[in-house]
Parts: sequence; C-alpha cells; structure tokens
Amino acid sequence: MDTPPAKKSIVEIVRATKIYTPDVVALEDISLSITYGEMLFLTGMSGAGKTTLLKLICGMEHPDKGLVEVAGKDLNRIKGVEIPQLRQQIGMAYQDFKLLPDRTVAQNIAMAMEVSYQSIRTIKKRVIELLQKLRMEHKHDALAGKLSRGEQQRVTIARAVANSPKLILADEPTGNLDSKTTRLVMELFEQCNISGTTILIATHDEGIYKKSENRVLELHSGRLVQPADRTISTPNNMP
Amino acid sequence: MKFFSNILLQTSRNLQKTWATQFMTLLTVSLSVLIFSFFFLIYTNMIKAGERLGDDLRLTIYLEEEPVLEMQSQLVRKITNFNQVEEIRFTSRDDAYNRLATQLGDNVDVLDDLDPSFLPPSIEVYPKKNLSSLAQIKRFSEYLSTLPGAIKVQYGQEWIERFNYFTKLLRIIVLLSGTLLILTTTFMVAYTIRLAVVARQAELEILRLLGATNGYIRTPFLIEGFLQGLLGSTLGLLALFFLFRWIELHFSGPGFLQLVEFTFFSPTIIGIIIAASITLCTGGSFSSMRKFMRI
Ligand SMILES: Nc1ncnc2c1ncn2[C@@H]1O[C@H](COP(=O)(O)OP(=O)(O)OP(=O)(O)O)[C@@H](O)[C@H]1O
Ligand SMILES: [Mg+2]
Repeated sequence: MDTPPAKKSIVEIVRATKIYTPDVVALEDISLSITYGEMLFLTGMSGAGKTTLLKLICGMEHPDKGLVEVAGKDLNRIKGVEIPQLRQQIGMAYQDFKLLPDRTVAQNIAMAMEVSYQSIRTIKKRVIELLQKLRMEHKHDALAGKLSRGEQQRVTIARAVANSPKLILADEPTGNLDSKTTRLVMELFEQCNISGTTILIATHDEGIYKKSENRVLELHSGRLVQPADRTISTPNNMP
Repeated sequence: MKFFSNILLQTSRNLQKTWATQFMTLLTVSLSVLIFSFFFLIYTNMIKAGERLGDDLRLTIYLEEEPVLEMQSQLVRKITNFNQVEEIRFTSRDDAYNRLATQLGDNVDVLDDLDPSFLPPSIEVYPKKNLSSLAQIKRFSEYLSTLPGAIKVQYGQEWIERFNYFTKLLRIIVLLSGTLLILTTTFMVAYTIRLAVVARQAELEILRLLGATNGYIRTPFLIEGFLQGLLGSTLGLLALFFLFRWIELHFSGPGFLQLVEFTFFSPTIIGIIIAASITLCTGGSFSSMRKFMRI
C-alpha cells in the first residue's frame, strides 16, 4: 500500500469471504481499510454480517478467502505469542457480552488488564474511573449475572476500553440502553478516540451515527454497499 | 511482582473453585508417598543391616590335598576371577589342628590319640561386604566347589538365603509401591487439573479472547500441581517420620530392634523424594492441560 505513513491503516481487509459451515455466506468479497485513529460505524440489517466482520478483525474467526491484516499482522499467518499480544491491543465489546456471571463487575473489568500484568493498584483505579464514567460505581461489587442487560452492556464496554487498546470494536454497544446512557457510552468512546484509539462501532441505532461526521459502512447480506448520501471511501476521503 | 501477584490471584481462584477435589488429591498424594517411603525405608535399612551381617561372612572350601605354593596362587587367581574378595586365607592341616586344639583348651587331651593330619586343609574366602556379593553367595559357593581339589564348600547357607529372599521380596514391594506412587500421583493430579480446567472453561475462553498468553493461563495450574507435589510428599514423609518415632519409642526395649539399628532417611533422600513428587505432580498437571486445553 502506498498510503503515507500518517494515514497508515490499522485494519486492512482485502477481498475477504466468510462462509459458515455448511453454506451460510456471512461475508462476501469485503475490502476495507481503517486508518489509525479513525472512528467509524458499521450498519446493516440483522444478519447482514456485522458481528462476523468484527470477529474477523479480532481474530475469533478466519476468512475462507482473502486477507485480514491488523496492525500490520496477517491474521492467517500470525502464531504463537503474537496472537495474545495482538488481542491485548484490541478491545471488543461483545454483542452477547461474554461476562462471567459469578464474578463481580470489578473483577470482570479487571480481567482485561490482568492478562497484560498491570499492577493491582492501576487496575483498581482504572475500574473505578470507568464505572464512574458509565454511572455504575454503585455496582462495583455486584455479581455480573445479577445485572440488568443494560448494565451488563456497560460492563462489557468498560472491559473493552479498560486496557487502553489501540483498537476498540463495539458490537451493538447501545442496543439495550436508553438515550441518556447511550450518550454516556458515546462520550466514553469519543474520549478514547480523541486520545488516539481507533474505534469501530457496529450498530442499528441510527441516532448515534446520523449526525456524526464519521464514516459509515453498510453491510447488506454480507456485502459492503454504499449508503445513500455518503461515499464508502478510501481513508483519504475522510474529513 | 505484578506477574506474581497476578498469577497468585489466579491460583487462589482456581483453588477456591475445586478445593474439595484438590484436598482429596492432596491426601492421595500423601498416602502414596507414605506407602512408598515406608517400604523404601525398610529396604534401605535392610541393605545397611545386610552390610553389617556381611562382616562375618566367609566361605570355607575344604580341600583334598594341601595345595603347594604354585597351586595356591593359581587358586587365588581363579577365585578372584569370579568375584571380588576382601581376603583369602589358606589353612593347612597343621593350622587346622592347632586351631582346634586352642579351641578345646583344657580338653586338648581328647586329640592325643588322633593323627594330627585328620583335619582337611581349607581355604577361607571373605567376600567383599556388599549386598550383591551377599546375593551371589550361592553361585559363588557353587563355583568354588568346582575348584580343583575342593571337597566341600561351607557358609551360613540358611540365614543368608532367607535374608536374600527377604531383600528380594522387599525390592519387589518397593518397586510396586513406587509404580503405585507414580501412577496415583500423576493420574490423580491430572484428573483434578482436568476438573479445574473444565470448571473454568468459560473463563479460560474469555481470558484467551482478552489476550491472555499460554503462560498466563497455564502457570496457575502448574503451580497447583507443584503445590500438590510439595505438600503431599511433605505430609507423607512427616507421617512416616512420626510413625517411625512411635515405633522407636514403643519397641526399642533391649534386644529386639536394637539388633538391627534402624535409621530414618538422610536429608538427601528426603529431598529426592520431595523433588520427585513435585516433578510427577507438575508433569501430571502439564499433560492434563495439553490434553484438555485448546490453546
Ligand atoms: N457460528 C455461526 N454458524 C453458522 N452461521 C452463523 C454463525 N454466526 C453467524 N452466522 C450467520 O451468519 C450471518 C451473519 O451473522 P452476524 O452475526 O454476523 O450478523 P449481524 O449483522 O451481527 O446480525 P445482528 O444485527 O442480528 O447481530 C447470519 O445469517 C447468521 O445466521
Ligand atoms: Mg451481530
């Protein structure tokens, strides 16, 4: 790629196709590049393949055809200790949360930082800070399994953000939230983005991207299409 | 520091989840160590006793003719060819007669009417004082009886054979209990670790997604195996030690056990037993993880 260094891409997908056995074509011929520090949205109908695309980027699934590169690493070739190293740099807020129900909120969030051997004091401080930002400080010691879905959603977001990753993938982060709480979450993401984190948000929620200046990608039955009044563009066309 | 506090946190979480099984495993490991080291202790003491008993060990070869000097050196060569010996002593007819005479003391006059050459000449062989020569004694005596001019070979046949039989039996028991130790510890530990892995499957899955390295995920389980080995063997050896002291206290009246002086393991042997248990348990934990953890 001859993109100038300043516009180097953190995610580079070239003609990727993902077929779930036996014959569900979840993604077809996807090409996409995301530059460092970008914030963008991924929309599309239910079943269009948003989650699958995020899973390809974080290495949970592998493309059947094509190339997925994250931070310059080809995810098909990556092996050994590089896999956990890369995953520590990606924070994913899962659509199905993936929390441990028998652990407290704080413990669930801390896990993301523990795997990179952060000191216990740093972890404690960060957890409290994030819970305050998401107005959940009173749930610090509540068991994750006892939370409402909206609360669980915020915990999974806090966990994705906790380790200050380079890339945040948020899968339907506001699906269970009221508009006020949605605002809190988006503020958190914007803060992260300002400090340089690349953020990709998959969402149905038109409200959070309609007025934004950011790039919006739309998936339609596994293919990227051009949203009506926007251009799916190379990063060069970004504002 | 950060690394260790994190790993210890993980380990304590593991232990909390499966403490009942962990405890059972710990007991199994200690019991196996106890059984094995019990027999091993008896065995090592038997060997020591055997060495002491071997001090009085000698084979006497009775000869037809008194060997001439040249013949003597040839016999010495033949004997040492078969087995290492401490000493070979030739006894002539006269020596034998004189020895008998001194043994009879005041009653020496019973010999008066006899020909001083009625006692046969003999060779006394003192084998090297170790267990293997004790075990070989029968074959050695058979060999000696084929020497030219030999009439008969004598040694303390009966007790030596009984002793040999006993040590052989003990050796088998030690080997069996050693095998038992290896099997139970590795399998029990592997089994508990498997349970722990299964109990934490969901968590391990998430940890992997969050970017936990193999080391981060495995080390707590390895530490568990290590602790099982360390604590289990220490407990087993402690139990044996107290059993040993108890027997010493209650049975060390005059005579009985005094006959064979009983000693506990040396620090080196204790170290080896503990190290071996740790290796076995950690190995069991490792093999279990390789099988049940999809990393
Ligand atoms: N593990 C799987 N095995 C088989 N098919 C799958 C699997 N995961 C997803 N699919 C299928 O792939 C297609 C895309 O699924 P995906 O979860 O990516 O959609 P989505 O855009 O995230 O939908 P939603 O908005 O409902 O979350 C769907 O048709 C789905 O049924
Ligand atoms: Mg989805």
